[in-house]
Amino acid sequence: MEPLWLSMELALTAAALLLLIGLPVAYWLAFSTWRFKFLLEAVVALPLVLPPTVLGFYALVAMGPQGPLGKVWRAIFGHGLAFTFAGLVLASVLYSFPFAVQPLMSSFEGVDRRLLNASAVLGGSPGRTFHSVILPLSIPGIVTAVVLCFAHTLGEFGVVLMVGGNLPGVTRTASIAIYDQVQSLEYGPANRMALLLLLISFAVLSLVYAVNRQARRSLWTPWAAK
Amino acid sequence: MGRKITAPLTVRVRKARRGTNRQPFFLDVALEIPAGVTILFGPSGAGKSTLLDCIAGLVRPDSGEICAGGEKLFDSAAEINVPVHQRRIGYVFQSLALFPHLTVEENIAYGIHRLPPPERNRRIEEILAAFRIEELRRRRPAEISGGEAQRVELARSLVTEPRVLLLDEPLTGLDEELKDRIIQDLRAWRTARHIPILYVTHSRAEARALGDHHIAMREGTTVSEAQAELARTKLKQ
Repeated sequence: MEPLWLSMELALTAAALLLLIGLPVAYWLAFSTWRFKFLLEAVVALPLVLPPTVLGFYALVAMGPQGPLGKVWRAIFGHGLAFTFAGLVLASVLYSFPFAVQPLMSSFEGVDRRLLNASAVLGGSPGRTFHSVILPLSIPGIVTAVVLCFAHTLGEFGVVLMVGGNLPGVTRTASIAIYDQVQSLEYGPANRMALLLLLISFAVLSLVYAVNRQARRSLWTPWAAK
Repeated sequence: MGRKITAPLTVRVRKARRGTNRQPFFLDVALEIPAGVTILFGPSGAGKSTLLDCIAGLVRPDSGEICAGGEKLFDSAAEINVPVHQRRIGYVFQSLALFPHLTVEENIAYGIHRLPPPERNRRIEEILAAFRIEELRRRRPAEISGGEAQRVELARSLVTEPRVLLLDEPLTGLDEELKDRIIQDLRAWRTARHIPILYVTHSRAEARALGDHHIAMREGTTVSEAQAELARTKLKQ
């Protein structure tokens, strides 16, 4: 079960980091009026269309001994970044970035502009409006983003293989272990691991839909309905 | 007891924007609004809401000046544009905008959260009593009626003790009995606080009941004093 725990650890770390980075990026994308904003939107969405091997290849080159990330990492920590758990986390954050930003951005954009105006005329600074109005009304989007990032990282294969390889206890995640077991014709263990991943994925997606449904019900105001 | 003399709201703005039918629309207004209720008339598309948005800071005029309470809020020549949240202007929108995730009491407390708790609680209790909405304090907007929400919206704006109050058709869609009650609340409040109040309405009854002054707007500008006088006379009939 070690690969599964490693996958869980990787998914939780990546989801937490993605939330931290995704919130300000999504806020800027939702409310900025910069005319070339679409370029950044395209960059954020790139991992959705790129083959994981392409993303993994560039991540590996950047993290390698001659790559910019690898050099910086080595200067700070004294060792390389490729084929380490930290390297996996970084690659996972890149790979799942759109899964964090897009639900958050849609949620922020979905907050009624009248409420933002109301907050401002009541003396709410942009920071307070974000904290007291936008964030609480975006809880379904935040839950969706975190859960999707978690589930997406849990199931990733191509990027992990490119950047992390297959080092037991370090970079050998559940999806890599399944692949390995199938290659060795060990269908029994592969089946157990696959079934666990299937159940976890189903559970987290059910949670997303349940939270969204509940949130829609609790905030419905009949007199505000159009 | 002598009443404190309140500086008028002075507005001189120009703004070009795309209208509802995508036709260009020009707002070109120069007004001085004294303390008391000034009724702002005019057909739909005359620029009333745009004018209110400019005063509140939600829309930036192309040029001009806006002064309230002796402070310059906007001056295109001096490049002054006080952000919306620092203007201390109360604004009740045409459509309701209560925060759906907060209770009535939390909605009312939103604009006065920086006050010390005793002062904040005193103001909340006062306004809840004045608008007879004490029993709604723990309810969320989804659990109250449209008329109750309208009163909460007014109370939320008034509790901040703004130096100017903008009301954009705040009683639209309410039944007559409820309107009368809210008008009574507003009259009592107007008497207690001597500030400029700009009130947009199509209703003669509301204008008659509340209006101290009258301004008519058409196609983005104020019409002549004579026409405003005519409108006022018609209201009295």
